[in-house]
Amino acid sequence: MTSQTLHRPWTPWLFLLPALLVLGVFFVGSAAQVVAFSFTRYSAFRNPEFVGLQNYTTLLSDRIFWSAILNSFLYLLVTPALIALSLTAALVVDSGIRAGKPLRLLLFLPVVTPTIVAAVAWRLVLNEDSGLLNQLLTFLFGWAGLHEIRWLTEHPFTLFSAMMVTAWKGFGFYMMIFLAGLMQVPASTREAAAIDGAGPVGTLLHVTLPALRPTIALIAVISSISALKVFDELFVTVRGVPANQQTAVPYIYDLAFEQGAFGAACAAGVVLFCIILVFSLINLRLSAGREA
Amino acid sequence: MRRSARAPGWTATAYAFAAILTVLAIGPALWLVVGAFQSPEAELNTLSGPWTLANFREAWREGGLAAAATNSVIVTLARAGLNVLLAALAAYPLARLSFRGRNTVFLLVLATTMIPEQVIVVPMFKIAAGLGLYDSLAGAVIPFSVSAFGIFLCRQAFLAIPQDLEEAAWIDGAGSLRIWWSVMLPLATPSLALLALFSVIGAWSDLLWPLVILQSEDNFTLPVAINRMLGVFATNPRVAYAASVLAVVPIIVFFLTVQRWLRPELFGGAVKG
Repeated sequence: MTSQTLHRPWTPWLFLLPALLVLGVFFVGSAAQVVAFSFTRYSAFRNPEFVGLQNYTTLLSDRIFWSAILNSFLYLLVTPALIALSLTAALVVDSGIRAGKPLRLLLFLPVVTPTIVAAVAWRLVLNEDSGLLNQLLTFLFGWAGLHEIRWLTEHPFTLFSAMMVTAWKGFGFYMMIFLAGLMQVPASTREAAAIDGAGPVGTLLHVTLPALRPTIALIAVISSISALKVFDELFVTVRGVPANQQTAVPYIYDLAFEQGAFGAACAAGVVLFCIILVFSLINLRLSAGREA
Repeated sequence: MRRSARAPGWTATAYAFAAILTVLAIGPALWLVVGAFQSPEAELNTLSGPWTLANFREAWREGGLAAAATNSVIVTLARAGLNVLLAALAAYPLARLSFRGRNTVFLLVLATTMIPEQVIVVPMFKIAAGLGLYDSLAGAVIPFSVSAFGIFLCRQAFLAIPQDLEEAAWIDGAGSLRIWWSVMLPLATPSLALLALFSVIGAWSDLLWPLVILQSEDNFTLPVAINRMLGVFATNPRVAYAASVLAVVPIIVFFLTVQRWLRPELFGGAVKG
């Protein structure tokens, strides 16, 4: 091992103490409580009282809860869009054009932008009467009677609107992961393919993309986990839409902090946790595969 | 990575995609800037005037933007500073010191990445309130003053540092804290900088937790204040546009100043685990 077995026995714990305190109290403590509270009737106005599975049975018969879960699954549609955008961006940045580096910086700017600012900007672009997107659609497809989509009020367009914000804000981040992945594809391999007569498209399809498969899988999983946890984009971009157009986290927020139903909100949190856990476990398996 | 053999038209295609992506990436934000400088009687989503600074004045005076900007700076700096400090402290024994329970602690820390903040926001609120953190800037900072991700990132960086440097310092009589400070930290700078960068961006953008824990307008951070403006100034959304522009400028300036630390190769390690 190291020469450092000489340290005093409590030295490691002193280094660890502040971090473990914060994680222990706020994350482990909360995780334990969210399970415990989920079995209680508990509101902003009364102390927790054990009610067994009642919160869960109520949730299961709550149509709004089911639509929130369904919408959260629909929200996973943002994942392929994110992968397509970020992969395209990475390939362009890495294509050897001279503007590659400044472009990489520029495409990262949305990642830096606070989500609420992104949402406010897209609210303007998606404005139902005058927004740029509806103007564009009317210009392109007005002859087919397509105009004025209710991006900010009508289901499922409200979900798509929030997804646009998620995709806009996120693709620069995943682009960086793809660029890291591209660095693992040796330039020599790609050059060899080019020398063997593969055109740029051939090299892309037969060398680069297959080599990026682990990266694509990784991004699919981590962006799915983020999609299941989405809050800001819905809360702000399509603010004020009816409860049945929300996803899981805004539903939990509304239940807890608007209606004061802490116990029921905790039960909904536990259900969401179980869904996310499935994706986290896939992520763990993928990571294990990469280490091997 | 420059390709030696490039087919004609390849570069042109790349530039065409680059142009589309550029418009997509900065178009909406620029459009917001246009909206922020238009006077309330101008039509939305046009390039017509009259132009004015009134929206900014209104956001500053009526929207409580000055206080919100100050609060955001305090919360962001505190969160980022503590994230780097606490993660670097915790990562050192996990990477370098041998003690009983080391693997267990590390696994437990990693396990907390599986607990999403969004799922536990209710009990976290009750715990924070129980500790007297409700409606205080400390309440917006402390629960997020360290992350398992940060500890993981720092541990990876420390593991990559050659051990003989540390041994030399050890023989010279340096203690653990001294080695951590003058050997480990300087050599892990790229990872610490990346962690600071991520922490600043995350804290500046955070909406859910400040929304839950902050009650009085004097304590609002920028995202919470902008969220409030969207409601209060519903008839003149340009006030919120102006506030949004003011909220994005500092973080862009910050990012452009430190962007040299943002290197794709760091992302490969950063997302593992």
